[in-house]
Amino acid sequence: MGEAVNFEPADVLIIGAGASGATAAWNLAETKMRIVCLEQGDWTNPSEYPSSGRDWETRAQSDFSINPNRRAQPGDYPVNDADSPIKIANFNGVGGGTVLYAGHYPRFHPSDFRVKTLDGVGDDWPIDYATLEPFYAENDRITGVSGLSGDPAYPSKQSLMPPLPMGKSGQTLARGFNDLGWHWWPSDSAIATQPYAGRDKCINLGACLHGCAQGAKASTDITYWPEAIRAGVELRTWCRVKKIEVDDAGMASGVVYFDADGDEQFQPAHVVIMACNGVGTPRILLNSTSERFPDGIANTSGLVGKNLMLHPYASIQGIFEDELDGYRGPHDSIWSQEFYETGEDRDFLRGFTYEFVRGRGAVATALTGVHSGRIPWGAGHHAAYRRLFNRIAGMVSICEDLPEEHNTVTLDPHLTDVHGIPAPKMTYTISENSQKMLDFSIDRASEALRAAGALDLIVESPIAGGGWHLMGTARMGTDPARSVVNEWGRSHDVRNLFVVDGSVFVTSAGVNPTRTIQTLALYISDQIKKRLTNLFD
Amino acid sequence: MNQTIATDNPFRVEEQDIMRELAGLIVPDSPDYAVPGADDELIFADILHSALANEHEIKSGIEYAIGLDCPLSEAITELEGRPEVAAFVSLVMQCYYRDDRVMESLGMEPRPPFPEGFEVEEGDWSMLEPVQRRGKIWRDA
Repeated sequence: MGEAVNFEPADVLIIGAGASGATAAWNLAETKMRIVCLEQGDWTNPSEYPSSGRDWETRAQSDFSINPNRRAQPGDYPVNDADSPIKIANFNGVGGGTVLYAGHYPRFHPSDFRVKTLDGVGDDWPIDYATLEPFYAENDRITGVSGLSGDPAYPSKQSLMPPLPMGKSGQTLARGFNDLGWHWWPSDSAIATQPYAGRDKCINLGACLHGCAQGAKASTDITYWPEAIRAGVELRTWCRVKKIEVDDAGMASGVVYFDADGDEQFQPAHVVIMACNGVGTPRILLNSTSERFPDGIANTSGLVGKNLMLHPYASIQGIFEDELDGYRGPHDSIWSQEFYETGEDRDFLRGFTYEFVRGRGAVATALTGVHSGRIPWGAGHHAAYRRLFNRIAGMVSICEDLPEEHNTVTLDPHLTDVHGIPAPKMTYTISENSQKMLDFSIDRASEALRAAGALDLIVESPIAGGGWHLMGTARMGTDPARSVVNEWGRSHDVRNLFVVDGSVFVTSAGVNPTRTIQTLALYISDQIKKRLTNLFD
Repeated sequence: MNQTIATDNPFRVEEQDIMRELAGLIVPDSPDYAVPGADDELIFADILHSALANEHEIKSGIEYAIGLDCPLSEAITELEGRPEVAAFVSLVMQCYYRDDRVMESLGMEPRPPFPEGFEVEEGDWSMLEPVQRRGKIWRDA
């Protein structure tokens, strides 16, 4: 028999145990309030990650796929992404997307918070880099970030651990960038390069995207959560939230969820915090209809689910004569922000980051070669395979996506999860600005790869399966007519409802969002702590 | 090891024969590289077992190949690159390139990445000197 569930009102109820939920739970724990977190998935045992088995590259396409529709594990819910050229990628379980992310861990730049002012597009954020800087530093400390101080693409920031090795791949690509006089720098990575806070150092497994069996990659199930639970936070797994209820005063009164047995439960709460990512959060908000909020809770502006931003990616890989790192080593190595800030000589606004890709595994090499026609069937197979094996390296360009209201997360009229809860539907098109940026990034990457000695190029644009970054669907702002939450993450409509995940992003920047999502979760939960006596005013 | 008993396998004998022949045509053995073909007994057992996870797509591809109504050795140019058999081709690659003999021929140790990991050279960080010399590139806001 398990422990009886305590259905007394929680002081704070957090929905989602991923990057942002874990961070907020940890930060609020010191208040000694009763904090409960509901997570629809479960804990994952690192010893069961794919890299522990010979079939690791196969499992990366099945039970550890980044696509929940393919993965279809009990903690997952389906997402209709048929109307998007970029398909959903996520992970549902304790740690959320950090279980399957690469650990690329860039910060936003000061300019990313002033997009409207600087470039006349998108909107400015109601907060700035300087406001978030101390929270970036605190999050870095808990997470453990490797890198190299002094990156000229950023204001000064401290590095806690040495960078990941460049390897043969990184050095080859860096030579190409140096030949062109372009910026590159060791990537900031949420991967320990020396023992850190009870975690061991990276041993170059090369399977970061499918869970780190070594525990070197900072997923929140092994960073924030152990500390939060020791501090008294209750984490309840296999709890899928159906809707948020409201009382007669228009305040959130708690949530209805399905427990591990499929039974419907109600957990009352004084404060509700959404931490379910840019698709999961609007899904629950839109499902939370009531007489008072017929279009979903916190949706008076009509902007819940709108302005979905995804970061269109292009992949540009070179095929080299000499052997490179291949299957050995983490994906992260070095990055370039040569084209990050808006350039006057370009036909698009804003910019992108190149994240260098070290190589790929034996099976991935075969699949790339066979499906692109570079490796034939029959007698020529083996020689052609060996011309690619351990000889592919390159980069992806992660392009800033600007907010557009027609890019949406809505409720699918037919599709539901196993509990009958309406599933989300993504409707998304790549804007003209983003397409020009993608094309430009391919042209410049091709130049750099040729300069580095690439014999041939493999290009994919956009990366169809690359909907890793889900942002903008409950945006932050000071104007209740133009935003869903205020400048400290509280719903304009419901004064005890907060959002701490990537949904609150006003613009997307041209970098991976996790470090900023967690920093915002620290910032917003810090605001809650500071305002406890008048939180609902 | 293959844990599938013959009677549990959803693929008919005729389908299994086609699968094995096709696997061998896609990746034949090579004396030059000292590697077996994908129709090797051990590798094909892995293919047959692993096909269960994606049975519908694999079956559909094999039925397509059977439907061509000519010997596979003649149909091979028509089949190559066809989306109907893409799932089967992926399956062959996944099983072939985790076989001990194949991995060893590529210079790999036949083991999973964890727990031993791999060596990666640190690299020469002095290559950053021109980037440092150029100085700040971020924009004030």
